[in-house]
Amino acid sequence: MLSQADKDILANRDFQKLVTVRRRVSWSFLTVLLGLYLAFGLMSVYAPGVLARPVGSDGVVPVGIVMGYAILAMTFILTLIYVWLANSFFEPLERKINGGTR
Amino acid sequence: MNVTAIIMFFLFVGITLAITIWASKRTKTRSDFYAAGKSIGGFQNGLAIAGDFMSAATFLGVTALVYSTGMDGMLFIIGGTLGWAVILLLVAERLRNLGQYTFSDVVAFRLERKPVRTMSAIGSLAVAIPYLLAQMVGAGALIQILFGLPYEVAVVLVGVLMTLYVMFGGMLATTWIQTIKAVLLLVGGTIIGFGVMSMMNFDFSELLTAAVKEHPKGPAILAPGVMFTDTITIISIGLAFVFGTAGLPHVLMRFFTVPNARQARRSVAYAIGFIGYFQSLIFIIGMGAVVYVTNNPEFLGPDGSLLGGSNMSAIHLSKVIGGDLFLGFISAVAFATILAVVSGLTLSAAAAVSHDLYANVMKDGNADRDTELRISRITTLVIGLATMALAILLEGENVAVLALIALAIAASVNFPVMFLSMYWSKFTTRGALAGGYAGLATSLILVMLGPTVWVTLFGFEEAVFPYRYPTLFAMLANLVFAWWFSVSDKSERARSEAESFGTQWIQSEIGPVQEKI
Repeated sequence: MLSQADKDILANRDFQKLVTVRRRVSWSFLTVLLGLYLAFGLMSVYAPGVLARPVGSDGVVPVGIVMGYAILAMTFILTLIYVWLANSFFEPLERKINGGTR
Repeated sequence: MNVTAIIMFFLFVGITLAITIWASKRTKTRSDFYAAGKSIGGFQNGLAIAGDFMSAATFLGVTALVYSTGMDGMLFIIGGTLGWAVILLLVAERLRNLGQYTFSDVVAFRLERKPVRTMSAIGSLAVAIPYLLAQMVGAGALIQILFGLPYEVAVVLVGVLMTLYVMFGGMLATTWIQTIKAVLLLVGGTIIGFGVMSMMNFDFSELLTAAVKEHPKGPAILAPGVMFTDTITIISIGLAFVFGTAGLPHVLMRFFTVPNARQARRSVAYAIGFIGYFQSLIFIIGMGAVVYVTNNPEFLGPDGSLLGGSNMSAIHLSKVIGGDLFLGFISAVAFATILAVVSGLTLSAAAAVSHDLYANVMKDGNADRDTELRISRITTLVIGLATMALAILLEGENVAVLALIALAIAASVNFPVMFLSMYWSKFTTRGALAGGYAGLATSLILVMLGPTVWVTLFGFEEAVFPYRYPTLFAMLANLVFAWWFSVSDKSERARSEAESFGTQWIQSEIGPVQEKI
């Protein structure tokens, strides 16, 4: 059986807000990153021409390599956003729920 | 023989042995041995995590892949980085909130301890041991080329050092060794990348143009499809990287070396920075090797092939960049990389035996501290001796299959079981066991029937299972079995496990609940 204290936390508005927001953030970030990766993988089979097409004026660097570096940059940016959110939003909520107002 | 390499190597060994002696004086409790006393900060742990990931396989292997296939290497470069986003967003903080020393602690949080721990310990060992063996065999061959040492001597050298580090220095020594090596590798990689770009006037287009001109496949390297052409293979590789990384026991163990979930989060964030940066360099290094190594007579054997194989492309490139001095530095860094990674793997295998199997399964969680520590040290010694012996027997064999098995099992046994236990309230002991063992069996069977074993090792004409990578099918097998055997589980145990999910959920979200005063 769940203890009364646990039931209280599960029913706590702040806890529910923490869970919902964090879940939305994590899964939407993941969807973006994994979606881009899947698109890259599928394009290399079904639309290799798109990835091989050069971008820019000198016509050398292909889309696929730009996309690869863009996904790396995107991963880094989303990481920074997640850490910022966690420090400024999730963690204060966690402290508030865990141990009351201390 | 390269004098710089020898001096650098002895310097590294001297420093790491000094660290081991220092660490051994501070390693008294279980928490010290398995988790460095939970005293490591986020920044250092981030470096150590990046170090665990940046193995010789990444540095030399992925560079070699870019060197021979061009854009197809991007699949590995992106996948290797995205695995860490999965860890950050889904796993890291919860792991630290729920566990003590190994990821089995998390799986066994509300499920029945003995059977579930036995399974996840098998999962850990089934990843750590083949991976360790693959690294040892690769290390022997590499050191043979770099330092001119006989294969057996190289294997014994690596084996003895790794056993000493782990037995006496535990996680504290392993972490420091991994940190130092990560810094060395980042510096080395930066110098190579910077060297390549400066010879190309810092013009990326010029680098690619020159690479197309030198590469035997010409413009094909700037398009996908040189190596990977079917959807199933590409998806399996993607899954193995994205979810397999979060199933590597030696990586997961690192999250217990920090004091709290906040530091666990910071660790991955730093690790992503270092890994993403390093992966960006790999593509430049691979392309640079195409330009300066492919048709350079200095590095070609009498038959026109690259000396030491394509894995040596990064090493040869370092000689172009900085002569014998820098070649020596990079060779020593490659050696340090291997040593640090095998130490982490050995420690995770020892923890699976002493913490999961001995202390929790055999002794019901009431193991005596000193006995448990003694067992973990004996296990380390046994693993060290056994892998040395096996690595010597496997000289010259194709060990790619071992790494393949390790990553497939990480993605199809350890990760799904851990993930479901964290997120799915109806996940039961029965479901965990059915899913975990189904993933394990599917991985092993499909690798055996696939081209790597069935054709290359057994010599049959055609593979029964046509794909090299089994991850897609093995992961699906785990999920389907785990789902079915959980929802159809109507036992009393299943009911109480579902009920205690609430307590676990709270702890995974906000950490261990503090008593109100």
